[in-house]
Amino acid sequence: MKHPGSFADARRDVAFPMTGAALLAAVLIVGGAVYSAAGGATADKLVTAMLIDAIMVVGLQIYIGNTGVFSFGHIGFAAVAGYAFAVLAIEPARKSTVIRNAPWGLNEVHLTPVQATAVASLVTLAAAVVVGWGLARSGAKSGSVSAAVITLALLFVTHELALNWTDLTGGDRAGLSFRIGNTLEGRTVIYAVLVAVIVVARLFAQSRIGRLAQAAREDNLAARAMGVNPVAGQVAALLLSVLVVAVAASLRVYDIGNITPKFFFFDYTLLTLVMLIVGGRNSVTGALSGVVIITAGRELTRRFASDGFEFFGASLDAPVVDWLLREGLTQIFLGAAMLGFMILRTNGLLGDWELDTWLWRRWRRRKPEERPEPLAEIAPVGLHVEVDREGAALEVHDLAVDFGGFRALDGAGLTVAPDEVVGLIGPNGAGKTTLVNVITGVVAPSAGWFKVGERELTSAPSHDIARAGLVRTFQNLRLFGALTVHQNVELAARVAAQHRPGNHPPVDALIAEAGLWDVRGRRARELDYGSARRLELARAAAMAPAYLLLDEPTSGMSDAESAEMIGRIRHMAAAVDAGVLVIDHDLNFITGISDRIYVLDQGQVISAGTPDEVQADPAVRAAYLGAESDAEGRA
Amino acid sequence: MTELAQNVIDGLGRGSIYALLALGIAVIFGVMHLLNFAHGELITVSGYVAYWVFSAGLNWYWIAPLVVLVSVGTALAIEQVAFRWVRGAADFTMLLTSFGVHFVVQAVFFMYVSASVRNFDRPRWITNTFDVGPVTIEVFDVVVVAVTALTLAATAAVLLRTMFGLSLRAAAEDFDAARLMGVKSDRVIRGAFALSGVLAGIAAIFWLMRAGQTTPSAGITPMLKGVLAALIGGLGSLRGAVLGGLLLGLAEVLLRSRLPDGIAGLTDGVVFVLIALLFIFRPGGLITVSRAERV
Repeated sequence: MKHPGSFADARRDVAFPMTGAALLAAVLIVGGAVYSAAGGATADKLVTAMLIDAIMVVGLQIYIGNTGVFSFGHIGFAAVAGYAFAVLAIEPARKSTVIRNAPWGLNEVHLTPVQATAVASLVTLAAAVVVGWGLARSGAKSGSVSAAVITLALLFVTHELALNWTDLTGGDRAGLSFRIGNTLEGRTVIYAVLVAVIVVARLFAQSRIGRLAQAAREDNLAARAMGVNPVAGQVAALLLSVLVVAVAASLRVYDIGNITPKFFFFDYTLLTLVMLIVGGRNSVTGALSGVVIITAGRELTRRFASDGFEFFGASLDAPVVDWLLREGLTQIFLGAAMLGFMILRTNGLLGDWELDTWLWRRWRRRKPEERPEPLAEIAPVGLHVEVDREGAALEVHDLAVDFGGFRALDGAGLTVAPDEVVGLIGPNGAGKTTLVNVITGVVAPSAGWFKVGERELTSAPSHDIARAGLVRTFQNLRLFGALTVHQNVELAARVAAQHRPGNHPPVDALIAEAGLWDVRGRRARELDYGSARRLELARAAAMAPAYLLLDEPTSGMSDAESAEMIGRIRHMAAAVDAGVLVIDHDLNFITGISDRIYVLDQGQVISAGTPDEVQADPAVRAAYLGAESDAEGRA
Repeated sequence: MTELAQNVIDGLGRGSIYALLALGIAVIFGVMHLLNFAHGELITVSGYVAYWVFSAGLNWYWIAPLVVLVSVGTALAIEQVAFRWVRGAADFTMLLTSFGVHFVVQAVFFMYVSASVRNFDRPRWITNTFDVGPVTIEVFDVVVVAVTALTLAATAAVLLRTMFGLSLRAAAEDFDAARLMGVKSDRVIRGAFALSGVLAGIAAIFWLMRAGQTTPSAGITPMLKGVLAALIGGLGSLRGAVLGGLLLGLAEVLLRSRLPDGIAGLTDGVVFVLIALLFIFRPGGLITVSRAERV
């Protein structure tokens, strides 16, 4: 039995990723060595460039892939690192000719390439801290335009500085160059860095913080509702990725032997982005495949453009072909690759496919696992999650919310005792979901407050509220689609292990309890509707919540499925010792599941009591059920 | 004071062109949530049209209407070839699609037309000025501001008074709801691209009159200005885009004349940083378009 609270699987998260990374690096290195042995000096240059691009693209993948936040600016970081490296590593004698007036006595400084890379990385990391703060402040999330703009600003500013700060950069014409022959020799260093970088990228993706970042990538709101602070994962990914980019930039400058302002600008941004997306930005294997494919395609189009069409002996010699194939073909190739993949296969060739994960799955399949005992067998009377539940009631008082001129909540309040199942019912537009949104920090109330036990949570951010034990599900299903069923539940359990006290329900048992054991390896986005609903419930239960807030858990289900869901919810809640606040507009379901019911209409609680009391209340019949006969029909 | 007045006049002239570009970008963002980095290609294409028409011995009276026509045609063609296939896709996908269009168009001109600069004559009156008290006003700026004002008035009339305008505004507000109300998404999106083409065409006339030349990458600068202006205005907001354009023009002129000599070359960078700061502190832009996520 694994130590509870530890979710790292040594094979899945360490051994296999390292093996897979080594395999990937070996393919690149051996393939490159074979090609350059056959092709002479030109091929040699091409392979070196490809390996350095591979390091750079993996750097991009660590950020863009794990967080989904789109950054145009990573090549701007590369520019910072490249210049810092060149300024520090070029020997003073040479600097005194190209940048005679360098500030801070920099033209006296002479570091070894390794020292220069280290210092350049630190300088670039400092820039990353500033940009990262800006991104966090702007609420960057997957696909957000503000992140694209902020990072694009970095790219432009570094470019303009490189052009204009000639005392430091040598400007546009000369740039900064090493003395001839004074550059990178052999590829041993590149090999070592490449292996290390791929290993780091894979370990990060499998790490706790990497998983949290991916959850926020898949669904920012749901991640926060599971107690994940998206900023933490984004900042970690940014710093790591910028570190890799800085090393790659230093290598690129040292290999080529000079740097000019256009060296790390639009063209290189295009190149690296195309490499990243063609193979699949969400996977390291994909990113590396993209590097190989685009390098090959670029070389091929370059040859077509200069020598005419010749492909494995077959050649086409016609004036039209010669007219079509000319300089600029590589640019068209890159643009068309980007366009084509975005239109036809936006997640790249491999999507989320990762070599080591695939190997691990195959390896594991050979020894079947035993189906775990469902929760009910393990904990028939509950797990006793919280040590002391005395007086830890959920209290909501006088909430008011205005959307423009529309008052969605108008002084609504309710209480839920620990271990109680409370229903909240009302017609469409009564404010039910708004109430849940307020007490999970999604919508800020204009008045009122709420607390759990002694802890007031009114102005707390979503993830703190979730960590305090108010955990919700969503009316319109928000799972982490690219993550497997198991990973969805495990993610919540990881957060719980760190932020929720007491015992925690075992992940496997929760999955079995939700009837998802046989599909635990499947991605959440591939689940059928009913399974997806049950997975959302299991994921919420894995947080070991004090209260489960269920927003229309049976919406879209048949009557039979709804009836089954009643038992499942009560069971799951009892097993993890959680109180329940469940929202629905289906009276049968709510009366069937609830100990007590609140009726909401036009933002106000118009009735409260046991199911029988509420059903008998004439105000309820009038407001919610409408015509008398209709009420008889449904109730 | 005189200098400030001079700056404001210059800034308005510059800002008007930005406003036209930004409005075109905002219209498209409104209906399909696409930040169109390929908007500048309309200027590039227009530039070559201007060059060819001019080489054929015709003057600006011919160039101007042709530029608008070709710009609209190009906008519709780009929609047909690229953007219609990524409708409703993730923002990431659409953003990179527009980038792909940008690079392909640029490379096509580079390969099959020429990498070098193509010149054409600028209208003779463009350098004329007149003085109002101590302030020198360019005739060109007056024409730009006047035509922009007319264009905006016409655009406003179309948006506010026609059925197409109503569908477009409805679609910008809530695309799904608009479709449920019977708005034909295909027609609205194509209409939005046509409108953005008209606006870019008019902007292109002025841009090219002043530049008197074009290159395969001529569209990058106007595209960036338009995008920045639209960002300042909050992207989805049409009024914001116009305001953003004018503000950007003013800010550039003020910065260029006020920044010390050594840093004046950094004007674009400073503007970019200011906009990044705007986004850091007000992620919705200057004029916030509320786009609440449905939970």
